[in-house]
Amino acid sequence: MMVVFPSEEWFQEVRQAYNSDQGLHSGGGGACDTTAGFKVGEYWYFIEFEGLECGQVRQCTEQDLEATDFILEMPLETWQAMLMDVQANGKASSNLTLNSIDLEFEDGIARSPIDDQYRQDLFYRYNQNFQDFFDASSLVETTFESQA
Amino acid sequence: MADKPSGKAASVDREAKLVDPTQGIPEPSYSWRGLTNEWGVKVLPGAHGLRLGDVNVGSYGEVPDYWADQTRRPRGSVGRPGIPPLPYSLRSKHELWADCAADLYEEAIQRRWIPATEVPWDSLEVLPVDIEKAVCQMCTELSQCANTELEIITYWQDRMSYGYFEVKQYLATATFDCARQQEVLRKRALSNGGGLGIESRGRVNRIILESSGGWTEAVVYLYLLRGTYITRLLSGLLSAAHNEAEVFIYSHMLEDHARHLTYGYDHLKYASSHGKDATLIMQTLLAVGEGHMAAELNEGVVSTAMAIIFGGGIEGARTHGMERYLLLVRDFITDYLAICQELGIEREKTLHPVFKRYLENE
Repeated sequence: MMVVFPSEEWFQEVRQAYNSDQGLHSGGGGACDTTAGFKVGEYWYFIEFEGLECGQVRQCTEQDLEATDFILEMPLETWQAMLMDVQANGKASSNLTLNSIDLEFEDGIARSPIDDQYRQDLFYRYNQNFQDFFDASSLVETTFESQA
Repeated sequence: MADKPSGKAASVDREAKLVDPTQGIPEPSYSWRGLTNEWGVKVLPGAHGLRLGDVNVGSYGEVPDYWADQTRRPRGSVGRPGIPPLPYSLRSKHELWADCAADLYEEAIQRRWIPATEVPWDSLEVLPVDIEKAVCQMCTELSQCANTELEIITYWQDRMSYGYFEVKQYLATATFDCARQQEVLRKRALSNGGGLGIESRGRVNRIILESSGGWTEAVVYLYLLRGTYITRLLSGLLSAAHNEAEVFIYSHMLEDHARHLTYGYDHLKYASSHGKDATLIMQTLLAVGEGHMAAELNEGVVSTAMAIIFGGGIEGARTHGMERYLLLVRDFITDYLAICQELGIEREKTLHPVFKRYLENE
């Protein structure tokens, strides 16, 4: 089944793929407890990791993300470039990982909605869990909004 | 082989023992029973199990601003008169505390990894010799940084009061992380046809190890100044990783290191809001530390090694490789100033000229 990125349905499919295979969690290597937001184009998404699983992911408003630890924000075309690369290679190439993209942007891609450095640092502490999550999208047949 | 008592003799022997099994043992005393400060505590595990912070309930969760007790008495237990004091010199909470320590301890325990078997060593492939040399040089440098961190933590850990056991336990995991970093970096250097490179001059290692004014002073140098730079180095190495083994190594090191910085920044936040003149002291320390850090940044071993890695060889190092490294240093100084500002430490106006130069580099 083909799903469109960005959409709540797409994130749900990725969540299912991620949770169904512990082998996809090798990068993170352990429990991850955090909440975060993604800004993808004009859409906002909320995600929660609980232990070894992604507990929930859903579309939301910007206000819903005020209590999250951090928000990942990048242009739609950067999201798409990363995910197209994941689709093509099974996981992000080294220049298109969240870490590499973070280095490309002058202010980085992670910010705390309440300017709390401690909570923003969770992006670095759990970086690989998030990468694993997006790498799991290689198992989800994806079409992109501009193509749909 | 010694003769065993046989038959009847053995039976008599056993009976003799049964007659008085407590012979020679002092009359047992059960007077310790009931000696407790708080009984009937029953903490139930939550969604994430029974975590260290969860059992901080009632009197067991009271963390005093000053811990006068110089013994190894677990917090909340009943003290025994006459126990000789131990050399715990850090007895004020602001000298070591970070609210996140118990959580970080749990996280470190859960997110452990095993270099011997979990790193995909078979993904290593022969690299061009200049790149292999650069990678091995970075392994040598970072290994010394990890060793410095391990030594300074253990030096001060010994002096930390038991009343703040969350911090002591968390730091025990940090030393283990450092040992693992040394292990994995050594293994990377010695597993792909290269070897360890030249020893660092260790200017910053030295000021970290010689920070004798207290643990907070060490944290200023170890985490705020140098640790912030190491985060950028690890991010850079991860983004330029040559194989799955390096991806695994750098990504896990980065996550462990980020945990160390979380403790470091959180401790400095606590210290700066509870210690007398703490931010002014940190400002003075950093003015000195920046000088050493600047000298180390200018020394050129790390810069050229990173430039080779970023540039894919010596040719590329001269152009885009070095450019990328300079941006990395600029990002480090930007991060450093942002954290100083958050902590209320004034650094921007009197920033070291070398730092300023890197910052102005566009």
